[in-house]
Amino acid sequence: MTGKQRKQFWNVIQITLILIAAFIMLIPIIWIFLAAFKTHVDVYQLKLFFTPTLENFGTVFDAPYNLGNKLINSTIVAGVTVLFAIPIATCAAYSFSRFRLRFETSMLVMILATQFVPAVVIILPFFVMFRDLGLLDTRLGLIMVNLAIVMPFAIWMIKGFIDGIPLETEEAAMVDGSTRVQVIRNIVLPMAAPGLFTAGIFCFIIAWNEFLFALILTNKDAVTLPIGLALFKAEEGDLWNLLSAAGIIIMLPMFILALIIRKYFVQGMTMGAVR
Amino acid sequence: MAQVLLKNITKRWGDFVGVDNQSLAVADKEFLVLLGPSGCGKTTTMRMIAGLEEPTSGEIWIGDHVVNDDLPKDRDVAMVFQNYGLYPHMTIYDNIAYPLKVRGTPKADIKPRVEKAAEQVELTEFLHRKPKALSGGQRQRVALARAIVRTPKVFLMDEPLSNLDAKLRVTMRAELKHLSRQLQITTVYVTHDQIEAMTLADRVAVMEKGVIRQLGTPDEIYNDPSNLFVAGFIGSPAMNLINGSVKDGYFITTGGTRLVKVDGGDRAKVILGVRAEDVDIHESGQGDIDVLVYAYENTGESVMLTLQFGKQRIIAKGDRHLRKDMDDVVGLRVNPDHLYLFDSETEERIRY
Ligand SMILES: Nc1ncnc2c1ncn2[C@@H]1O[C@H](COP(=O)(O)OP(=O)(O)OP(=O)(O)O)[C@@H](O)[C@H]1O
Ligand SMILES: [Mg+2]
Repeated sequence: MTGKQRKQFWNVIQITLILIAAFIMLIPIIWIFLAAFKTHVDVYQLKLFFTPTLENFGTVFDAPYNLGNKLINSTIVAGVTVLFAIPIATCAAYSFSRFRLRFETSMLVMILATQFVPAVVIILPFFVMFRDLGLLDTRLGLIMVNLAIVMPFAIWMIKGFIDGIPLETEEAAMVDGSTRVQVIRNIVLPMAAPGLFTAGIFCFIIAWNEFLFALILTNKDAVTLPIGLALFKAEEGDLWNLLSAAGIIIMLPMFILALIIRKYFVQGMTMGAVR
Repeated sequence: MAQVLLKNITKRWGDFVGVDNQSLAVADKEFLVLLGPSGCGKTTTMRMIAGLEEPTSGEIWIGDHVVNDDLPKDRDVAMVFQNYGLYPHMTIYDNIAYPLKVRGTPKADIKPRVEKAAEQVELTEFLHRKPKALSGGQRQRVALARAIVRTPKVFLMDEPLSNLDAKLRVTMRAELKHLSRQLQITTVYVTHDQIEAMTLADRVAVMEKGVIRQLGTPDEIYNDPSNLFVAGFIGSPAMNLINGSVKDGYFITTGGTRLVKVDGGDRAKVILGVRAEDVDIHESGQGDIDVLVYAYENTGESVMLTLQFGKQRIIAKGDRHLRKDMDDVVGLRVNPDHLYLFDSETEERIRY
């Protein structure tokens, strides 16, 4: 074999391996995609060719499943969480990044440490507190829980982006005549925008997929999409076709966000400094 | 109309002293250059004037009041940062316009002023670009334009020409000099380029390790250095500094060579300073002592000879037509009219 041939040979091997790996990872998703368009009968036959139907997508939105309500709940909970998390986290991250605070390191570590506590450990106290406060099965309660979940993550991530803005840029703006607020509005926010956007999307995804707290703290009114999937366990067994359709509805925003994020993520990561 | 006054300014970080109890008065309309080696506290001094660094102790005056507690924006200074500090998300136009916009200049005034500033630094064709799409030198000029677009009380410039190529540096230097004469604005200018300091300054403050070692006109700094550091730092090539003693009216090197006649009484330990252009080269036997040519360098406009006698070396500047070779023997005479004597212990100038 010549060198060129050998190189081609390895290329083919590489591509084959990648395809196999990708295929293994994609199988569940492909299966769901197929199942979502099958009838209940077809699901149990591993048919690749069948007459696709949109019926499942209609059924899941009808009674008794009413997936629409859950979709609205999920959208509101995840959306409002992001809406509050990003501005608050930005303020915190800016302070951590730019001011020397007392107990700064300890605070940062503590914020991160909250992430290490397993959710199952604190879920019971949450349940009791929420019951006493009347927050059980409310969107407000879920939003508060999700805020607590995404906040540490958002603060650390945004702090990273703000750390990347050269101090000299802010100092130049101050000497040029800006107040601190003007510096933040005119310099920091525009420069950190791709970072804030990326953090926002990540928070949305976390809140959107949150399962455990929603499972325990809601039962009827505030049920979110991931919990809604449980509805499709019927007496006659799992309704895989409906489950798959609902799964696609849950995944769809993730796909769209992943596409958007790809562009901003790179931008956010490489924004860096211009000396 | 603004003088800048530093009164007993100290800046400390923990145990490290960045600026050590210094006082400095920059007169109204004066162009003062802070000159010194890397890390001597030039930028720190300037940042304290701008309000970006708080002095550990001491008072800072701009005009006729203390500004220690004023925010940077209220000090009415314009600063060129060593690392530019441009706004990467704005176009060059918006970068230059920012100080005007944020200070509420009427819209109609902004455009002509930005265009004029851009023209002065030869940036007109780049106004629509972002800083990322400019070279280092071009970015530096944006920083310069952003400073001169306004008429502040004080200009603070931290090595504003350091990243320009040799040719552009000369033109920008002339431009700056013209500008400062024209605008008549008090300027504090940081550099470690001696030529910049000499050509631009009304007065130069030579700093070393957080201390101003000498403050004077370029002429004074060059021709009348008040201590060993300034003598050795100013001038290219550096002044020859020779250890020795003074005995019976002559300077004797540590190696025992009787080099040159000096006035004043006998002294045990001194350092003789003599500039290369004050070392005369003669044919062998016609100078005061005969020495060996250690190295010969022709720079085109003059020649540099490194001469050796015993363990001592001395650099001489000769006529550009002089041709010598390594190991030639030449006569050396030190011009007795331009000598500097320094105390070896205190490193202060001995005046006689
Ligand atoms: N924030 C800080 N903390 C501790 N030390 C500092 C700090 N800022 C500056 N220094 C030290 O103070 C000294 C003076 O720094 P400065 O930036 O004023 O030097 P400079 O004269 O401008 O040098 P250069 O010509 O390299 O720019 C340096 O030794 C530097 O390490
Ligand atoms: Mg500096």
